[in-house]
Amino acid sequence: MISSHPSSLTSRVSPLVFILAIVGCTQPPPQTDTLIYAQASDPRTLDPVNTDIAESVHVITNVFDTLVSYHDETIELVPSLAEKWTVSEDGKLWTFNLRDGVLFHDETKFDSAAVKLTFDRLRLKKHPLLFDDVRPYESAYAMIDRIETPDPLVVEFYLKEPSAIFLTNLAMFPASIVSPAALAKLGKKFADMPIGTGPFKMVQWNRDQQLVLEGFDKHWRGAPPLKKLIIVPVKDNTTRVQRLKRGEVHLVDSLAPHDFDAVSKEPQLVAQELSGMNVSYLSLQVEKSPLNSRKVRQAIAHAIDKNALIKTGFDGHAAPAVSMVPPAMWGHDASLQSYPYDVAQAKKLMMEAAVEEKFKLPLDLNLSVMSQARPYMPQPTIIAGFLKDSLREIGINLTVSGRDVTEHFDHLMSGRHQLGLAGWTSDNSDPDNFLYQLLDPDNINEKGNNLSRFRDPKFHELLLAGQREMNLEKRLPLYLEAQQIVFREVPVIPLAHMQLRAAFSKRLSGYHLHPTGLVRLGKVKLNAEAQP
Amino acid sequence: MIRYLGWRIAHAAVTVIVAVSLVFIAVRLLPGNPILARFGQHPDIEKINELREQYGWNDPIYQQLGRFFWQVATTGDLGNSLSRVNSSVNDELRQRIPATVELTAAACFIALPLGVIAGVAAAVWRNRWPDWLCTAGSLIGVSIPVFFLGICLREVFVFLPTSQRIDPLLSISGNFQSITGLYLIDTLLRGRPDLWLSAAAHLILPALALSTIPAAIVAKITRAAMLDVLAADYLRTARAKGCSLWRCVWRHALPNAAVPVVNIAGLQVGLLLSGAVLTETIFDWPGMGTYIATAVLGDKDYVAVQAGAIVICLLFVSLNLLLDLLFVWLDPRIRLSE
Repeated sequence: MISSHPSSLTSRVSPLVFILAIVGCTQPPPQTDTLIYAQASDPRTLDPVNTDIAESVHVITNVFDTLVSYHDETIELVPSLAEKWTVSEDGKLWTFNLRDGVLFHDETKFDSAAVKLTFDRLRLKKHPLLFDDVRPYESAYAMIDRIETPDPLVVEFYLKEPSAIFLTNLAMFPASIVSPAALAKLGKKFADMPIGTGPFKMVQWNRDQQLVLEGFDKHWRGAPPLKKLIIVPVKDNTTRVQRLKRGEVHLVDSLAPHDFDAVSKEPQLVAQELSGMNVSYLSLQVEKSPLNSRKVRQAIAHAIDKNALIKTGFDGHAAPAVSMVPPAMWGHDASLQSYPYDVAQAKKLMMEAAVEEKFKLPLDLNLSVMSQARPYMPQPTIIAGFLKDSLREIGINLTVSGRDVTEHFDHLMSGRHQLGLAGWTSDNSDPDNFLYQLLDPDNINEKGNNLSRFRDPKFHELLLAGQREMNLEKRLPLYLEAQQIVFREVPVIPLAHMQLRAAFSKRLSGYHLHPTGLVRLGKVKLNAEAQP
Repeated sequence: MIRYLGWRIAHAAVTVIVAVSLVFIAVRLLPGNPILARFGQHPDIEKINELREQYGWNDPIYQQLGRFFWQVATTGDLGNSLSRVNSSVNDELRQRIPATVELTAAACFIALPLGVIAGVAAAVWRNRWPDWLCTAGSLIGVSIPVFFLGICLREVFVFLPTSQRIDPLLSISGNFQSITGLYLIDTLLRGRPDLWLSAAAHLILPALALSTIPAAIVAKITRAAMLDVLAADYLRTARAKGCSLWRCVWRHALPNAAVPVVNIAGLQVGLLLSGAVLTETIFDWPGMGTYIATAVLGDKDYVAVQAGAIVICLLFVSLNLLLDLLFVWLDPRIRLSE
């Protein structure tokens, strides 16, 4: 008899009406001046010197400018806060002429004192305006001996040694120029409310809820088209995509491969993919027997079917790697061909090595694996399983040891492993950042990244020459030869280069994935209608 | 009464000390190193060791624990976050507690009436379809994992917000500033009905997910308590004297069945406060649960984890204390000595 009773009917219908009213009322009105960008987590700090976390970097990149910068779509260096620069003949003195009339968000004037302060905070052991001792990029600026400011618009960097990578390192986000007045005024609160000269200025940060930036009208490149930029943390991949599809956010990054495929089919959305400056690799500890045998290392290289590995461990969204230097980067040796997948050849090499090195087959080896996904390796455990199956074919019984990521790298850096999965995302656009960091003997120590403990005098000599040589054309052959040595000696087996992925509304124009992974929104427009 | 209260407070303090000590030790046994994590790809072992020394992590664990309790007892300062640079954990928690309280309150608002009504209906219509429905519903409600239910709700109710507390576009229009941290209240205080609707919409799915288990448990307990009371002689007499069924149920039976129901409901509220971790994580709800989950899983932020543990323990034991006092008030037969 419920239907005959009007009040009962109302009580049943009203919750539905209520929900519909709520949903109807919360649909955001169409707007074009505010962009909402969803990233995988909240930033931890916004002080450029204290972080290397991508979610912090995405904000820092839009709040600050650097002296030199990357071209919008390539890794070519272009002037930014420095209009031009010269290098002395010995390569030790770099003189930068700064852009005049640039303002910080607090309306103070950008000058050479700000540049000096920025780099002093990065490199000096103690600095009164440094509020946290963790400086992940301190070593990238260790080549600076001193900085002089002969004029408010001129700054001179005196280097200890000539450095071909110095300029590239100036384009990295830790070298974002900070406002001295704001640092002095805000103290450690600067990490929450940073002041730079970038296209957006900080307005409000509610931790884990939203970070609001406002277009800086007095930016030296002109006011950005967007009036407001809201950055929200949405941890779950699926929810991020769901919110994009519903129009609640306009841009998302760090997409899972299957989400990327789903977004590609949506008519209102754009899915972008780009080869990133990263590499995932298998480290072979060359100081330990039997991995000290080149034949064993080459056999392992022959036993891995990289195309199958890409399908299994990367869901098809990566490119097989041949060299540690990604193909998209300057200095990559395109002449190298991966060791062909050839089990027969691998077995033959293993037999020969067993005779030469006097060990018996099958071999028992251990593979150390990080238990969490990394940006360059989304499914390390699956990759470990694939390698275990592959190496069993050639007489290697692999046991897999999973560890927390920090423990894992601690284990690898101290050389306690035999085989280890690892990877690297480049800090700059120079091959030195891959080859010197990951394979040079200078980096064999407890904080060094030469995990394989590879020592080759010729390789070392080539890299040091590459660091000193200022002429790009003369540097190239040095890096090509260095890559050939790595290819021949196989201290590492490069596995894959992960692709960067982003998805956004078709209403967005002017956005491009950048090979460095930087998310720069200063030129992005949000249109009322979808762009063709 | 004062003696009873003093005894209960001492009991609560011991509970907090033991629980926090366990968390303090457990978090240090976790693999990983928060300082190493902060250096990312560029670890500097020398500096890491310096910082370990500075934080006192090279000392025996009982010394670290003693120092921690002394610091909390004398200053109330829970320390600085290890992962969020220069960020006081007290401030971080202060920002997040209202979000968790609002979510828990909304879940209680759904779970308690639903559980009580379902339990009463099941008892009144024993062995008929409302009883079967309630029993089956309770069983499903208790069995279904919250994370699974959360994901299902997210997939089914796609027209409702599935992430965060409020629509970001609406909240920046007019520069909405929170007052109490409870958005349903603040939006009304600021005269923003549009924002109130947005906050309510964002609350529906996480509150629904969080309310399932307590609703199921409350329904089961209410049913059992009501069956006992409904079989009592005084109710049979009341019915024989012409008291209507529903008057008997609401006026006489339910108040007498209230003690076990209030007991279990109170415990459930405590569990909701402490157990919102999964729900908050699934729905990106910026409360204590998300904060602690990130601290444990992502950053190994010891300071944040132990601070979160203290707050949750305090909330839980305070709630239990309140409940005990409520029982005394509810049922005068309960003597303080008991």
